[in-house]
Amino acid sequence: MGSEMTFYENLSQRGVSRRDFLKFCGSTAAVLGLSSTFVPTLASKIAGAAESGLTPAIWATGGKCTGCLESTLQATYPNVADIVLDLLTLNYSAASMATGKYAGEAKKGVYEGDRPFIMIYEGAIMTGLGGNTLVNADKTTSLDDLEHVMHSPNLKAIIAMGQCAVDGGWTRAFPNPAGGMGIKYYLEQEGLDHVPVVNLPGCPASPEELTAVVVQALLLGSDGTLETGIQAVAADLDRLNRPKYLYNATIHDSCPRRGHFENGEFVHRYGSDAEKKNWCVYPMGCKGPQTYRRCPMMRWNDAQSWCVESGGICIGCATWNWVDNNAPFKGRHRRVGANNILPGVWKGGINPIGTAAALTGVVAAALVAHGFGMKAAGRCGKNATLKTEEMKEYDRKRLKKQGGA
Amino acid sequence: MPGKLTKRSTHPFFVFTHWVNAMAMLFLTISGLYIAFPIINGFMGVARGTHFFWMFVLLINIIARIVSMFFIKCACEQGGECVEYDYKNWFPQKTNRHQMWPMIKYYLFFKKDYPITAKYAGLQKLAYWLSIILTFAIAYTGFALWGPTQDWIIFRIGNEIVGSLFGFGGGDGLMAMRLIHHWLMWFILIFTCIHGYLANIYGPSASRLIFLYKDKK
Repeated sequence: MGSEMTFYENLSQRGVSRRDFLKFCGSTAAVLGLSSTFVPTLASKIAGAAESGLTPAIWATGGKCTGCLESTLQATYPNVADIVLDLLTLNYSAASMATGKYAGEAKKGVYEGDRPFIMIYEGAIMTGLGGNTLVNADKTTSLDDLEHVMHSPNLKAIIAMGQCAVDGGWTRAFPNPAGGMGIKYYLEQEGLDHVPVVNLPGCPASPEELTAVVVQALLLGSDGTLETGIQAVAADLDRLNRPKYLYNATIHDSCPRRGHFENGEFVHRYGSDAEKKNWCVYPMGCKGPQTYRRCPMMRWNDAQSWCVESGGICIGCATWNWVDNNAPFKGRHRRVGANNILPGVWKGGINPIGTAAALTGVVAAALVAHGFGMKAAGRCGKNATLKTEEMKEYDRKRLKKQGGA
Repeated sequence: MPGKLTKRSTHPFFVFTHWVNAMAMLFLTISGLYIAFPIINGFMGVARGTHFFWMFVLLINIIARIVSMFFIKCACEQGGECVEYDYKNWFPQKTNRHQMWPMIKYYLFFKKDYPITAKYAGLQKLAYWLSIILTFAIAYTGFALWGPTQDWIIFRIGNEIVGSLFGFGGGDGLMAMRLIHHWLMWFILIFTCIHGYLANIYGPSASRLIFLYKDKK
């Protein structure tokens, strides 16, 4: 997107009409919780930012499957979101550019340069074996890379893209030999938490979520630049460092099958008539009720469909430590973790329903046995060995003391 | 439940609140189990409606019961003539003193005679207070899950703590809270089993009094 070409010319060249762009601005305003009166503001902010110069960005990677990058590059044809994401100039992207000397220099050029930049981090921080569970071609580790970038005074914010970057994702699933962890947790541990982190959880993260953050930053930036805007975004996150407007509702809240849930119309078996009728898949292990994300509204692959709409369940990929928590994915969530209370004990978690039901059964059986014992000891009914008379005597004394009969 | 009961042992208002408690727990348990295990189709809306309705009924009822103990008098001893404000029966009394251990020994068959005790034995009082705490705890976890209230700071803090303690490494804690809500229901069921057993092991008079307000003939 060169400065010699206007933003709208650039759109036109990529087959996107001005009408498409305004439609995109309308839907982005909706995601951001803004009214349609903000659409012209959004359009001018995006166009203005595109024409006033790009913000350098580093797309760094840790332990991951490249799914988040794949998700972002997924477009089968250029769409508006791609063009908005072009507001970031990805000077370095570990997974999508050719590796080697020039890639390293490009990255160095950003963090040693004099322009403010942001880092998009994809994947878990690999702390196992002193960081040697993820080694670069030049034998430096991913932790070394992070160290260099974090000490740059021009780093304005980190966008943790996807669940691995947020909390370690599947990379940190038990037994986690690679020591995978989320970037925010790692920075706090290393005392490098001076740079704000914006978490975009999910496996993978969605390009729409990244787009929404970029657009929000444009709106909030005091001088209309992404650099100041991204800091304003980071100042208004929820307690898990997520943009509030993106993660304030569960999948269940806006699921198109919610009506079937309320009506008690459930799928109990795949291949059944109930499934053909698109009834609610809650009994099949859907994690929608505890997963905060906007999949039903954003949908995937250019808003074609999403997990539940295509007949599956929500596996809760935007919840913390989702692999350990939610596996088996096609089963109901039945365990609570005990590792944080009793480290090393019950690593697979406790099934509170099973244990409590078993305990209730044991108590009921014990009471039955106790009842037989009470009967055998002659303590039941008329034979009860109760000291009624002594208690009555005590009562009479108290009544007398109170001045009664 | 030792001793001969008289109508002074309770009060019609306590009979009423006991009925409401029993009904609320029954409906909350059945509807809650259906919400967790919707094994037959067609009742989720009804189950959720029932659950929310009886949840408010139970809370109002339990608060009314606690407040009323400061205004309603009933017998200090089972079968006794002396009446006092009911709250005195709920707190440790002179006749409870040094009776906890003998009571445990009695129920474990290490002691033959039933210890002299107040209207409610020490263990009984402990269990009743525990049941109130359990009810408020389950209500708290329920509100932490309920959409309209889960974002209130008092419930958000709870979800945060539960998420970090039980959520396999932090996060929202919503599912851990749901499982704890379910777990507490089982503890209330355990209390109910023990309560029902001990109330009836010496005969049906206690149940006749608290459910029918009928004295032993």
